[in-house]
Amino acid sequence: MPINYYIFLSIALFVIGIVGVLTRRNAIIIFMCIELMLNAVNLMLVAFSKMHHLAKGATDATAGIDGQLFVFFIMVVAAAEVSVGLAIIVMMYRNIHSVDVNFLNRLKH
Amino acid sequence: MGASSLIVLMIAAVAFSGIAILISKFVLKATTNKQKGEPYECGIPTKGPSWVQFNVGYYLFALIFLIFDVELIFLFPWAVVVKQVGWLALVEIVVFFFILFMGFLYAHKKGALKWM
Amino acid sequence: MNALLLTAVFGVIMMLSSFLLTSKTAIRGLAVSGMVIVLAANVLEMMGIVFFKIDTKDMIAFDRFSLLFNSIVFISTLVYFLLSARDMEKVGINYGEYFALIFFVLCGVTLSSSFHSLLILFLGIEIISIPLYILTGSDKRNLKSNEASLKYFLLGAFSTGLMLMGIALIYGATGTFSTNGITTSPTSALVIAGMLLLMFSMAFKVSAAPFHFWTPDVYDGAPTVFTSFMATIVKVAAFIAFMRLFNDEFGSLQSRWQLLIALITAITLFIGNITAVFQQSVKRMLAYSSISQAGFMMMAIFAMNADAREGLLLYSAAYCLATIGIFAVLMKLKDYSFDGFNAFAKQQPLLAATTTIFLLSLAGIPLTAGFLSKFWMIKAVAGTGKYLWLVIFAVLMAVVSVYYYFRVIQAMYFKEGDGQTIEASLPFKWTLVLLAGIIVLLGVFPNWIIYWLYF
Repeated sequence: MPINYYIFLSIALFVIGIVGVLTRRNAIIIFMCIELMLNAVNLMLVAFSKMHHLAKGATDATAGIDGQLFVFFIMVVAAAEVSVGLAIIVMMYRNIHSVDVNFLNRLKH
Repeated sequence: MGASSLIVLMIAAVAFSGIAILISKFVLKATTNKQKGEPYECGIPTKGPSWVQFNVGYYLFALIFLIFDVELIFLFPWAVVVKQVGWLALVEIVVFFFILFMGFLYAHKKGALKWM
Repeated sequence: MNALLLTAVFGVIMMLSSFLLTSKTAIRGLAVSGMVIVLAANVLEMMGIVFFKIDTKDMIAFDRFSLLFNSIVFISTLVYFLLSARDMEKVGINYGEYFALIFFVLCGVTLSSSFHSLLILFLGIEIISIPLYILTGSDKRNLKSNEASLKYFLLGAFSTGLMLMGIALIYGATGTFSTNGITTSPTSALVIAGMLLLMFSMAFKVSAAPFHFWTPDVYDGAPTVFTSFMATIVKVAAFIAFMRLFNDEFGSLQSRWQLLIALITAITLFIGNITAVFQQSVKRMLAYSSISQAGFMMMAIFAMNADAREGLLLYSAAYCLATIGIFAVLMKLKDYSFDGFNAFAKQQPLLAATTTIFLLSLAGIPLTAGFLSKFWMIKAVAGTGKYLWLVIFAVLMAVVSVYYYFRVIQAMYFKEGDGQTIEASLPFKWTLVLLAGIIVLLGVFPNWIIYWLYF
């Protein structure tokens, strides 16, 4: 399959994620949209990695492997971020019994 | 294995579930009661609303599990090259697990693994 | 490499110390001595003594610039520990963890100041950000702290997503993560899109307008001790990462991004300074002032020449030290409004004098480090010979900034009031005096820093 399809798919997922972050009001759903953005990036990195491997793999057997390794790092960092974020959301929920980000306006003057 | 086998599989899957539904429709006597209209929940009927707040301990366990579970993803690239790199790879993975163990020790000492 | 490993090791040690050591004095002593060791190790590396020789496959490059910057950061953190470590006790019970998280942030700072691969940039920025989300929300019962933390987390994760997309697009176009510069010509749409995404996410991390909207809320909501850390050390670290990224990777595309960066700089200067004028709380004023200072630091990114590199180092030292000093004094007060400073000079003449020096430095009055660093920035922009309106605009905005910094000085010296009784220990006062002395000396002899960049 041509690389364009992968790019279109992951850009579409990425934009869905962005729109979700900007329009949704529930912290958990915003959070899921951010994860969607990260996974769109993962998909794109893997596709590009394969593309570079096909292009240069004949001379360099490890060409394009760094893209796949990057994906591992993104997954691990995303997991760390998720655990911190969920902990923050749980802390918030225990204090105000809601995860609606519209509550986040006390700081505005 | 080509596209033809995929099509055969799809037809077989649809036929299997369709036949099962049809047989039950003919064999069983149709009855209606209130419980059939409810969303499926296994076990006995719930008392009170089922949207209760879980003990926060569950979240703590889930988060700790998540971290340690996903960290192990680094074992995959390690496993691919372990034979090439040799004993140095072993040392590195021991260091990696030592660091993870420090985190585990911290969680244990802080009482995060104790059920409250 | 010394500092990178030692900060990570000390992070783990501080984490373990939280249940191994019971006395808070012992934890504090351990943190301060750890910081001294890290600083010493980094200075030794600048002199060519490397403890750990690790082949990083050219992913990390410790050059003079990053090592010198790391030293500035470690000195600032040491000063921060000496001044504010006691105030961390008031935030919550997890005293050891706060230090552990700060050491982890420093590990991220070391990575993001010396990356030579986009992977390390990503890891460094994330290792900085994730502990900060926790530190922002560390005051668990305080709703403002919770909100600040959630807001910072959601927006920070969002900007990380943008950064990753940028990295992925650039990887698609070049086939490598190492920042050797874009060599493909003609420049593809992938590179331009990736560059813009990276620019936006870095502008978010350094809180440059129009991506600054989270800054005042987060800085206001976070516990003041950690605001001090976030507004200084973390911000300049993000600037160094920004500069390295746009120098190493996108240096060849300078003509394409220069106008955009100039616009971001001008908007940041404008919004930061004008909004700071209208604030009633000193803490919030300092948040906006950090945006306006970010505007001045953006000028280094714009110019990207030798002057800009020297100036950014000088600026980070001047800005970090002065802001840490002001926050240390602010933390002792109960009332954070401008009126809280009324008649402060009568109560605490020494503290008022040092605070005045810090404020003068931030405003850029001659004979302070702040003046020279602003001068260096303007010199760098003038050196490019383009967009000279930016220079004039920056000078105008520096004049505006004098207004709100002098409001504090005016309140301290010329306003009547009952004055708040604060207790400040003798070592605290002497550290502040030393800090003010460093700022004045740097304002006279800037070569003390710049010498290290070249010797």
